[in-house]
Amino acid sequence: MDKKPQLKRKAKGERPYFHDDPAVDKLLSMLMGLTGEVSVLRDRLDTVERLAAERKLFTQDEIENYQPDEDALRARAARREALLNEVTRIIQAELEGLEDDDQEPYEEALDLVHDDRPD
Amino acid sequence: MQTSELEQRQHAILPTPNHDELARQQFVRSFKEHLVAQVHPGNRLAYERRARPGFIEKRGRAPRTRFEVGEAMTPDPHYRMFSALLRTSQEMMWSAAQKPVERDLDQLIEQAKKTGDSGGSLHLDPTLEVPRYHQAVDIHCQPGGYHTEIADDDVAPGAIYDRAVFIYAMGQMGPDNADMGASAVAWLRENHPDLKPARILDLGCAVGHSTLPYAEAWPEAETHGIDVAAPMLRYAHARAEALGARVHFSQQNAEKTDFEDASFDLVVSHILLHETSSKALRNIIAECHRLLKPGGLMMHAETPPYKNLEPFDAFMLDWDTRNNNEPFWGRSHEVDYVELSRKSGFDGDRVFETMAPSAYQIAQARRSKVFQGGDFGGGGLWFLYGAQK
Repeated sequence: MDKKPQLKRKAKGERPYFHDDPAVDKLLSMLMGLTGEVSVLRDRLDTVERLAAERKLFTQDEIENYQPDEDALRARAARREALLNEVTRIIQAELEGLEDDDQEPYEEALDLVHDDRPD
Repeated sequence: MQTSELEQRQHAILPTPNHDELARQQFVRSFKEHLVAQVHPGNRLAYERRARPGFIEKRGRAPRTRFEVGEAMTPDPHYRMFSALLRTSQEMMWSAAQKPVERDLDQLIEQAKKTGDSGGSLHLDPTLEVPRYHQAVDIHCQPGGYHTEIADDDVAPGAIYDRAVFIYAMGQMGPDNADMGASAVAWLRENHPDLKPARILDLGCAVGHSTLPYAEAWPEAETHGIDVAAPMLRYAHARAEALGARVHFSQQNAEKTDFEDASFDLVVSHILLHETSSKALRNIIAECHRLLKPGGLMMHAETPPYKNLEPFDAFMLDWDTRNNNEPFWGRSHEVDYVELSRKSGFDGDRVFETMAPSAYQIAQARRSKVFQGGDFGGGGLWFLYGAQK
């Protein structure tokens, strides 16, 4: 079977960093990615709890005492890996820029569109 | 997905995110709303309390231009934090919009291929060159830009864009992202009540979100939309048919189209001009002149020119030029439209520049009967530039 086509994930162009050490920007980006994933999780949990309550399926106590089986453990490990990929996206973005040789200074894009640029 | 003021209106070709994909997209919207309401206003405070006094101390006078405001603001810690977060929100937006599209791409492509022509049409030109100003960097950081195709008959960039525009606008352009077109139509009806166009052309139409309001306002007219990117147009055609609008989409560059001289009554664009170049802009306005019938109208919707703004506001509006892959943004906000139009053959006295109120926000205010004091001003106006031939 053919591999599914993959979308490009890094936008072509030099990425600006705003702090003296770009690592600060990268950490902020990870923090927001992480916050996003926590939010996704909370929304999902909220759905589950609302549905459960609506249909009288289970109680808070049952959640507290749940023991995951092997399938559940495996699924959780895969989900955690996806979470980490999401949170550390910016590290990959920089590497993708290196790999695709997308290193043209942004100045060149400005020059390209401004044929009447003074300097 | 629910259709309400909080969410985009579902249509047949709009990608359907699963539970977590939707939650991720909704988080990005909340993140952006938080930046607008809680973090962005701090820039003015930081400017007035810290950056401006610092500049005065160094130079003996206050900043006079947006460049001098930039000199003062760029090192400011709050501005840096704001910028780092805003850039990140943009990257997260594209990432969140991509996921369901990548997952369902085969089905989206199949569905677009099944689209019939119930009054509208689609004409692609595989020989059309994507202009260099769209290839140099991926405009507004959409990975692959408007034009990159990863599969035969690809619609992914269109499907991603349709969803991302809703998140980007935080719903403020309405459930169909139609507000720029709808506001321009409302302005035309108010200021040109006799206008009954037989042929309408929307330049750089992308997924046709601004085109459809014209087709709806003048259903008897023949409405065309052109764009350089095939995957946008395939999606636009499928979207228009799904929404019951009759639009003829064709793959063409607005600088030089294959339409006949004097063949349109109304030629419009929406946030197209700032995604071109100085040279392309001159070509586009000259092409508008060529395409219009005598008495016909050209009209372009953009964000306001810097000349009407305080240097601080101009500096903040200029953020995208260097930080969001919009290299022509700044220059396009300083164009002398009267001069530009004159050079393209228009009569300088028939050039207009105006601010049109957001049709969607007016409708919302009317519905809720509440005056939206605090947030009414934000994106409540669109800048319109145009001329009558």
